[in-house]
Amino acid sequence: MNDYLYNKQGEDPEVAQLEELLGGYEHTAELRKPLPERRRGRAALYVVLAAAAAVAVALAWPRGESSQPVIADGDPPPPASRCVAGGDGFAFASQNGGVTCDGAAAESGVLPVDTWLETGADGSANLEIADIGSLTIFGDSRLRLVGTGQDEHRLELARGKVSAEVLAPPRLFVVDTPAATAVDLGCAYDLSVDEHDVTHLRVTSGAVSLERGERLVWVPAGSEVSARPGQGPGVPVSIDADAELRAAATKLEGGDASALPTLLARADDDDVGTLWNLLSRTEDEQRGLVAARLQELRPRPSSVAEQAVLAGEPRALEAWRDELESALFE
Amino acid sequence: MAVVPGVLRVSLVDLRSARRAADSGDAAVSIAELVTRSQAGDQDAFTELYARFHKAVHAVIFSRVSGRDADDLVQDVFADAWAKLESLRDPAAFPGWIMRLARNRAVDQLRKAGPVREVPDVAVNPPPRAEARAALEALRSLPDTYRETLTMRLVEGLSGPEIAERTGMTPESVRVNLHRGFKMLRERLGGGR
Repeated sequence: MNDYLYNKQGEDPEVAQLEELLGGYEHTAELRKPLPERRRGRAALYVVLAAAAAVAVALAWPRGESSQPVIADGDPPPPASRCVAGGDGFAFASQNGGVTCDGAAAESGVLPVDTWLETGADGSANLEIADIGSLTIFGDSRLRLVGTGQDEHRLELARGKVSAEVLAPPRLFVVDTPAATAVDLGCAYDLSVDEHDVTHLRVTSGAVSLERGERLVWVPAGSEVSARPGQGPGVPVSIDADAELRAAATKLEGGDASALPTLLARADDDDVGTLWNLLSRTEDEQRGLVAARLQELRPRPSSVAEQAVLAGEPRALEAWRDELESALFE
Repeated sequence: MAVVPGVLRVSLVDLRSARRAADSGDAAVSIAELVTRSQAGDQDAFTELYARFHKAVHAVIFSRVSGRDADDLVQDVFADAWAKLESLRDPAAFPGWIMRLARNRAVDQLRKAGPVREVPDVAVNPPPRAEARAALEALRSLPDTYRETLTMRLVEGLSGPEIAERTGMTPESVRVNLHRGFKMLRERLGGGR
């Protein structure tokens, strides 16, 4: 595969010129020594100090500050907000007002684990996802931080819309919705949950895996898909797909195999993602038809046997998907 | 971390992850082995880790912070990594781990000092200065998603597969980011190159 930008194979004068301009800034320094001394038990000390600091903040947090609601005589003081800056969690900032964290109005702060962030109808906010990207939260949304750690950062979107831009190893960032889970594979996407708990996903860069139970769909850049409660993800379609193809995809989601010929007839280069996802949704003769149409548009790699595809072998399907994703840039 | 009811983990992409680990073969094993030895105090092993990752770390920092500060911050990141390495439970997770250390350090520096200073970056082998600075400014203006990978490719000279190995991203994601980012970079440079 000649892709000079990616693997330096072949030629690309434009890339080469920028390499020449920018290569002078490359890093060449040696590792500075001596290396610092490691102190045993430092991790335990940090935990103790952090706990002490948390207690000190809780005791020192004054009541009746401007960020707290007005307290009438005789009312018990409101609990201190859990969404204070400096705590553990994801930093957020209101962009357009109308944001609450843990039930209290908040212009900015930190969203802790197991805490809800909500936006009003006209509100919006930005949420930093650890150090791997950010999330724009649109109006009338409800979002919770489920957990964060070295192996995974997980949010729950109960309703509303978010737009994510993430640069990270795949599967590090996950968003649960009522109907399915969006698993980031290194991408940018828009994710929303409507009033019927239907999840809508549109991928603008990279790819997302949308999953529920054993149903998993691959949603590459330029595609969109919906997931319904109890049914899981549907068939992804190109953002530019026409009404007839979309209607056929919807019928196939519902198990109406008679829609397949229409979809295959209307599928073109932009619909290879749709066709690939149908390989795992079809069997026998139908899978053969889907594979044949996909082969016409984007031939499978030579390492992938036709029989393996027709048998639905995961490795074969996966290898073809990798080829499809790479071929987007040829 | 609480388990969300009704949600199960992937099958297909897990197979891809397992295959990538197997296909990476010597490189992945070597990084994990170097980390394990470094955790035990082997400075030669850590020096080898530096040799493999210093360009990627520099790219993460340099894409945000001016050159002179960036060089110091690279050293700070590795000093930090040496001090905290014992806390890394999975040696194979080192690439993503050190990338996060680098980003955190760069962001902290920005908070303290503001964005790129007026002091010009000094190239090691300077090409025509004005054109290089314009290219660097355009690169730094890109969204985070693209800025880091393009800096690794165009400044540090790492290939796409090397970027994938050093960041923990899949080769496919790297390729997506490089191409989409380059398209945006070209537009910001006026498309006249």
